[in-house]
Amino acid sequence: MAKHKGRGIATIEYPTGMNQNGDPSQAWVKLKPDGRVDVFSGTVDIGQGSRTVHTQIVADTLGVPFDWVTNDNTNTDSSAVCTGSFASRGTFIGGNAVRFAAEQARERILDIASKELEIAPGDLDIVEGEVVAKGAPDRKIGIPEVAAAATWNYGELITGTGAALKPYADVSDDDGSVEIEPHSAISYAACVAEVEVDDETGEVTVERLIQVYDVGRAINPTLVEGQIEGGAMMGLGLGLLEEAYPYYPAPDHRGGEFGAYLAPALEDLPDVDNLIIENPSEDGPFGAKAIGEMANNAQPPAIVSAIYDAVGVWVTQMPATPERVLRALDGEKEPRREGKRVIFDDQLSIRTVSSAGGKGFFETDG
Amino acid sequence: MKAVGARLPRYDGVAHVTGQTQYVDDIRIRGTLWTKALRSPHHNAAITRLDTSKAEALPGVHAVVTHKDVPHNVYGHLEALGIPADEPLLAVDEVRYKGQPIAAVAAVDEDTAREAVSLIEIEYEERPAFFDIRKAMDPDSPQIHQWGPVYPHFGSYNHRRVRKGDIDAAFEQADTIVEGVYRPQAIEHCPIEPQTALVVPEANGRLTIYSCTQAMYFSMGVVAAHLQWPLNKLKFVGGTVGGGFGGKVDTASETISALLALKAKRPVKWRWTREEEFLASSTRAPWHMELADAVTSDGWILGRRMTTLHDAGAYARFSPYGVTKHAFHHTGAYTIPNVHFDGFVVFTNRVPTTAMRGFGVTSVSFAVETHMNRIAEVLGIDPLQLRLKNANRIGDTTPNRVVLKDPSTVPVVLAAADRVGYDLPDEYKSMTNERRSGDLLPPHLVDQLGGSDASTNGGGR
Repeated sequence: MAKHKGRGIATIEYPTGMNQNGDPSQAWVKLKPDGRVDVFSGTVDIGQGSRTVHTQIVADTLGVPFDWVTNDNTNTDSSAVCTGSFASRGTFIGGNAVRFAAEQARERILDIASKELEIAPGDLDIVEGEVVAKGAPDRKIGIPEVAAAATWNYGELITGTGAALKPYADVSDDDGSVEIEPHSAISYAACVAEVEVDDETGEVTVERLIQVYDVGRAINPTLVEGQIEGGAMMGLGLGLLEEAYPYYPAPDHRGGEFGAYLAPALEDLPDVDNLIIENPSEDGPFGAKAIGEMANNAQPPAIVSAIYDAVGVWVTQMPATPERVLRALDGEKEPRREGKRVIFDDQLSIRTVSSAGGKGFFETDG
Repeated sequence: MKAVGARLPRYDGVAHVTGQTQYVDDIRIRGTLWTKALRSPHHNAAITRLDTSKAEALPGVHAVVTHKDVPHNVYGHLEALGIPADEPLLAVDEVRYKGQPIAAVAAVDEDTAREAVSLIEIEYEERPAFFDIRKAMDPDSPQIHQWGPVYPHFGSYNHRRVRKGDIDAAFEQADTIVEGVYRPQAIEHCPIEPQTALVVPEANGRLTIYSCTQAMYFSMGVVAAHLQWPLNKLKFVGGTVGGGFGGKVDTASETISALLALKAKRPVKWRWTREEEFLASSTRAPWHMELADAVTSDGWILGRRMTTLHDAGAYARFSPYGVTKHAFHHTGAYTIPNVHFDGFVVFTNRVPTTAMRGFGVTSVSFAVETHMNRIAEVLGIDPLQLRLKNANRIGDTTPNRVVLKDPSTVPVVLAAADRVGYDLPDEYKSMTNERRSGDLLPPHLVDQLGGSDASTNGGGR
């Protein structure tokens, strides 16, 4: 009886936006008379930080300081459509909506500034909250003055609207093919898990996770890391602890309280080594892809493979609880071989469990 | 200073950590009534009698609603995507899962509401329940859903299909076929904030709905559909959520609260107990996946046959969407030119399953990645080298005929190897995501690159 170390890897990909698209986000932007900026985007902040990210995107698109920008996502009267905070779509699709709105407001700012400076809009740029003549940086006007002129002199409201929508991608029911890319972007990740397995108790401890994420562009690296580490916690839960029905398919639930249901706590978080790489998306705001959902997908297979590396058994029913690890250690470790077939998990297969040998689920091509 | 790329603090972080953020349950409005629901104690039963008169007569009770009070009771969240409706907001003449709502009460306090629920007279006739998705097609299994054992509306098919290349030839050519079964479990979303709604009937006839939804416009559409109201009569207030993870796409509390508020003509709050959150709210789905990969002894994956069963629970909800998404990603981060995939949405008498972080793909990532490591083990090939060899690259086509523009499988694997000091031969260390050529363009991948697939399908470019 001993403790064994093991290491496993997983490499994953994950799409941005609803599968097959068709999920709009819309936003609008207005300037207050002192040039401060209000962004209305209906994206719900479920903790992922979309309000912050949208504010950053608007600040840089307009060319104003971050703290000039506020975000109102509080209600459906003042905000336009956002399909929702799911499908890892907040930064890319919601972010594009606020970007497009800010680009439009930027045009309006340049129009007004053009009148004030008597310089064509195309010869103007916005830098740090000031509209500046290209090549003649002393000829400039602050955005507060532009907004004031719009409000008090020209009788105008500087606004911009933006809508992001990738058209719905029809899928062929015959073969699954699509004519339109059925996502906005794809993010990638690799995760290495280092574990220790106690072959007496079946307990698995994840000691270290090395995680590499390509997010296209990290609009806010702190928030990306928050997703990576929060996702790692959920991945640990999936891989090792959590199950609503411990003897699935039996319907008995663990129970209606946190004391009955095992979810990871901060003390379960191992050493985490995060690396963000940026392979930009051509359509995303500032090259961004996504990070949200994928962050809990790579740990479970990496952990299960590390368990194999440590003690030589595959636990392919998640989570790898001590009971499942011990049963695997007591069970058949070698796959069945039949000709060139190498068959694992015979006992779990539909063909074994179904009284009809899985009829109806196989041979679907008639 | 540029904002993009900067480590700026969260917009709402200080309010969250100092307790100043107002979640739905923090909002207090004078005259608010409190809600409790009658939920099914059975996995599968006919409702033979339902009488709410004693509950209505209890002092302090202002409204009781059943299916009769819902203008449009059976509404599917994804009807716009062609996924038809099968789930009633409030059960009509049968219940298909333990915890399914049948009636709801609004009363002056939660104790009175609870007592009123206990006064609702209901009788059931229990039916055999069904739970093992692998047995769904067996002739001796109970039939529990009007559509049959599986969701039947993937066009004319009862499963989501992906077909590409010549799967039989791939299996014939293969040196080895590696087969495995993968079964990730149902898990709970576990938000700190349970499902909560506060609905206020305004003097002008509108409803203000304070909601913890992850998707205000989506949920507003759901409420509007059940009430058969135009959107200008509804105002959703939200945008800040105490944990969602996919579970708060369900719009689980808003509509019933709205019906009660309209009937009682008073503000109504419904906050689920922790027990309801665990036992009656949806879960991440359990999945059953069988993979068989046709591989060569030097580590090329020629083909994949895959059969997926998704445990939808009692109603379809978002499951057909999840299985389609799953199907689109069943080759993971790799290029496999010949595939045969079938994905089934299977009904059981479990609480309906729903979206959760990684919906449709968490399961397939688990199966595919564990299977990759098994293939490496069976062939005696380094698992990183196996990945780098089969990694998708610029110009590769997916099973859906999408041409990849910016894949990063190679860079992330190499970065991870470097980070852990993993020694790879030079020809692997020098790989990039560039288009395949030379040794990385073996005969079985020529067609998917330069052949008919890429030229007849624009791949969305």
